[in-house]
Amino acid sequence: MHTDSPTRRTAGRLSREDQRRLGDILQRVYDDVVHQGVPDRFRALLNELEEPGKNEQHSAPSRAEAHMAPGGEKPESDQVFEPEGASDPRSKGQH
Amino acid sequence: MTMRPSVREAMLGAVPSLRAFAISLCGNVDRADDLVQETLLRAMANITSFQPGTNMSAWLFTILRNLFRSEYRKRRREVEDTDGTYAESLKSHPEQHSRVEFEEFRAALAKLPPDQREALILVGASGFSYEEAAAICDCAVGTIKSRVNRARTRLSELLSIDGADDFGPDHTTRAILSAGGGRS
Repeated sequence: MHTDSPTRRTAGRLSREDQRRLGDILQRVYDDVVHQGVPDRFRALLNELEEPGKNEQHSAPSRAEAHMAPGGEKPESDQVFEPEGASDPRSKGQH
Repeated sequence: MTMRPSVREAMLGAVPSLRAFAISLCGNVDRADDLVQETLLRAMANITSFQPGTNMSAWLFTILRNLFRSEYRKRRREVEDTDGTYAESLKSHPEQHSRVEFEEFRAALAKLPPDQREALILVGASGFSYEEAAAICDCAVGTIKSRVNRARTRLSELLSIDGADDFGPDHTTRAILSAGGGRS
C-alpha cells in the first residue's frame, strides 16, 4: 500500500485541502457514532448505580441486546443487567 | 451512592462521544461499549475526585483512555483484530450514505499507531484543544501536535489522497455505486 500511490510522496506535509478532506471524513465517521445517542445499557447502568434495585423495569435488557448485536449473543450484557441479584455492579470498577 | 443529577446528566451527555472515541480507539463496537461501561463504573467509584465545574467530558476521556491503554497492553493481538463488527453496526444505522467510504477510512485509521490515532481523534473529531488533548494523554502539547501531523500524513498515504479525484464526493459516489449500495 506504500507503493500504489507514486504521485504524492511529499515530505510529510499535507495541503490545506487534503487536511480539510481528512478532517471532514474523520468528523463524519465520529459523528455517525455520536448520533446514535446513549444506548439503553448506559442509561440503565447509571440508574442502577444511583439507586440499586430500584429500576429493574427500566433495564430492558432485551432491547439493549437487540440494539447492540444484531444476531449475536452478548456475554457482557449480564454484567449490567443481572436479572436479580444485581449484587454490586460497581465491583468491576473498584480497584 | 447518590449522585447529583447534574453530574449524572453530564455523564450521560458524554456517553455518545465517549463511545465514538472508544470505537475509534479499538475498532470494535462491543469492546468499545465495554470500555465505556468500565469508564462509567470507574468514574462513579471515583466521583469524589471529580471537581465540579471542571470539564466532565475531558475527565471521562482521560479515564477511558487510560483503561484502553492498560487493556491494550494486556491483549495487544486482539485489539489489532478489527473484524467486521464495526461494519455490522453501521449496517443497522439508518442514515448511512457513505458506508464504503467509512469502512475505507476506518481501516486506514486502524493502521495508525495508537498514539497518533488517539491524538488525531481527540483534536480532529472530539473537539478538544491541543492543550486538553495533551492533558488527557498526559504528554506535552508539542507531542500532541506532532502526533496529529504524523497521523494526518500517514492517513493520507493510506487513503492515497492525491487530489480531488481520488477522494472526496466523487470518489465516494463512485465507491458507493460500484458497491451497489448507494443512496443519495
